[in-house]
Amino acid sequence: MSLDKMLKKLSVRSPWLFRINAGSCNGCDVELATTACIPRYDVERFGCRYCGSPRHADIVLITGPLTTKVRDRVLRVWDEIPDPKVTVAVGICPISGGVFREGYSIEGPISRYIPVDVNVPGCPPRPQAILEAVVLARSIWMKKLGVEA
Amino acid sequence: MDTLFAVLHMCIFPGGVFALTLGFFFKALDRRVEARLQRRVGPPLSQPWLDMAKLLTKETLIPKTACRPAFLLAPIFGFTGMAVCAAFIPVPGVFDGLFNMGDLLVLFYLLPIPAMAIMLGGSASSSPFGAVGFSREMLMMLAYETPLLMILLAVAMLVGKGLHGGDWGAEFSLLKIVSWQQHTGSLGFNPVMIPAFLAYLIFLPGTMGVLPFDIPEAETEIIEGPLLEYGGPLLALFQVTSALKTFVVLGLGVALFFPGTISEWWPVNLLWFMLKCLGLMLLSLTLVKSATGRFRIDQAFRFYVTVPTGLALCSLILVWVI
Ligand code: SF4
Repeated sequence: MSLDKMLKKLSVRSPWLFRINAGSCNGCDVELATTACIPRYDVERFGCRYCGSPRHADIVLITGPLTTKVRDRVLRVWDEIPDPKVTVAVGICPISGGVFREGYSIEGPISRYIPVDVNVPGCPPRPQAILEAVVLARSIWMKKLGVEA
Repeated sequence: MDTLFAVLHMCIFPGGVFALTLGFFFKALDRRVEARLQRRVGPPLSQPWLDMAKLLTKETLIPKTACRPAFLLAPIFGFTGMAVCAAFIPVPGVFDGLFNMGDLLVLFYLLPIPAMAIMLGGSASSSPFGAVGFSREMLMMLAYETPLLMILLAVAMLVGKGLHGGDWGAEFSLLKIVSWQQHTGSLGFNPVMIPAFLAYLIFLPGTMGVLPFDIPEAETEIIEGPLLEYGGPLLALFQVTSALKTFVVLGLGVALFFPGTISEWWPVNLLWFMLKCLGLMLLSLTLVKSATGRFRIDQAFRFYVTVPTGLALCSLILVWVI
């Protein structure tokens, strides 16, 4: 196995997570920032780490229905993330608009603008579902890198 | 021949490979112990290496408005400084450090290099967050370098007094400091030096930039500040530097305060050295980090110029008077 391939294979064991809040009610953000880190559901055991800068991110977690105000900013931040990246839509909001659906200021669903790799429905989703999404995102990332599990 | 040995020491032991392995091991253990303290599982011990592999496969983005040469050179600058520094650290009973070059003053000049590299990178990245991080890093540096200088002076003066009898003179050679303590007992047990040791414990989280003093790279306020624009291999270099720095500051702490050995056989001494470093790390970094939040920059500055500086000054005056 070549060195490059080996590095790629190892690399998926260190996914750094980045959160984008696209106008969410904060319910999903609380689930991501705290509940997914508490003892029972610890994401750090997969090697994950929340990072502050989009430049360091591998997996982006987007919450919220994409309001008119934040649309361009979300797209810009998303563009700043180096490839290969995996996009996860957390909560029902980015998938369909959820409770905010048909609101006058809602631009979503998010898949209109950004290719979404994993959807996690729920309002807010259960922590187990978020963890499963991260694991799924890892395998999609591996596919993007072109290596087999 | 001497140069060859110096280079070998810098690349393999105690600098280079050895320091990096140990530094990464400590970093992983730090995260793991922190997770266990919060009743989580925590990442595997190989995590820093995996992060490294990941960062090497990512693309490097350089901002258009950045000052390219400075932006690219900053991580290399920091890394070189620490790589040289690591070779000066004596491992008691195994290796004396590059004693013909390394003394406390050289270390004192080399230690701030990673912080300066971060400052350089931050200001070259042309991001406003980098600029904020730059000014915070500079303030922190001013704050924690003062107690460090006093601690080093206190140790040097005490050893100088012990070595040269009554006449007043400081001894800055690390080798002599270590060997004097091996004969007369560790300074960490000397009541006069206990305030200085406490000050060193407080100095550690500041210089390593971990909670509660990770103000320059606060990811929730200024999204990692100076490191914001770095990614891929360049960021990996910053992480390597940080791991080397962990080794350097812990090793320096052991050399200054607890350089005792327990056997004639070097592998045992090596293990003993690592255990001491580990104890120092758990006490001053991990425990504090897992239980605290972040200070504001003005609070941290005030804290550093009062508490640790006061403690170190205490020791300094005691050494002088007694
Ligand atoms: S999915 Fe529900 S909890 Fe999550 S942001 Fe939307 S409304 Fe809030």
